Amino acid sequence: MATTVITGRDVTFTIGGNNFDAQATSATLIGEMTRETYQTLDGKAFKVTDNNFTFNVEMLADWGATGSLCEILWSVSESSPDTGINTVFTAASGAVFSFQVLPSWPSAGGTAPDAQTVSLSFQVIGVPTEAF
Amino acid sequence: MPNTILDTVRTPLATAFASVAGNVYAYVPETPMVPFVVTVPDSPYLELETIGKSQIRTKINLVISVAVAYNSNPASLDNLEQLVISVLKVIPAGYAIGAVEKPTVTQVGPSNVLVADIRVSTYYTQTN
Repeated sequence: MATTVITGRDVTFTIGGNNFDAQATSATLIGEMTRETYQTLDGKAFKVTDNNFTFNVEMLADWGATGSLCEILWSVSESSPDTGINTVFTAASGAVFSFQVLPSWPSAGGTAPDAQTVSLSFQVIGVPTEAF
Repeated sequence: MPNTILDTVRTPLATAFASVAGNVYAYVPETPMVPFVVTVPDSPYLELETIGKSQIRTKINLVISVAVAYNSNPASLDNLEQLVISVLKVIPAGYAIGAVEKPTVTQVGPSNVLVADIRVSTYYTQTN
């Protein structure tokens, strides 16, 4: 089997139907397991009791622009902080994850010489649904 | 009409410099006339920093070279500093401005010029 290489440029995602391709420089879906360990007479036994996913996004800030994604995120954080937003994350063609994220406040501001950036860490509700 | 880097990035930058006291070029001319301001690629020139492949979006690193005649060192440096400041004042929104490199003496044609480079970067999206 030939070596497969996919890059961050294969990634695309939408949050609430808004496409982030123009602004996002990084997007990562990370899942963690809470795994309990039990010491039995036969040795160690393991049991996963919970899963927690986060969706991390790094993006160039676009405050003030028409259709600003930062302003959309701010508005939804203000108006519906506890309501999940439909998110579709494509890691590469043929690997799509669908899930809901809870709103997260975008940061504002930055250092003088550089483009302003925003780091977001979204809490994912439940376990993403995959389509491979 | 294609939205080339020349049309959408370098020429608008050169247009913004219309008010500065120097000859402005969006590319390197064969024989620039001092004092001059010329926009040239930096290294790395293009960086693909955003996700997605549906469109080519790239960070563009440019150098704005600002040059004055090198006749007398104190006057040349003063002239260069004034030209650099006037350029910094008119760089349009959407450009990140980096460092201004130390002035160097460069030979352009038969004469010496004092040149300083201003590093800037912006983003370009190919739309057609």
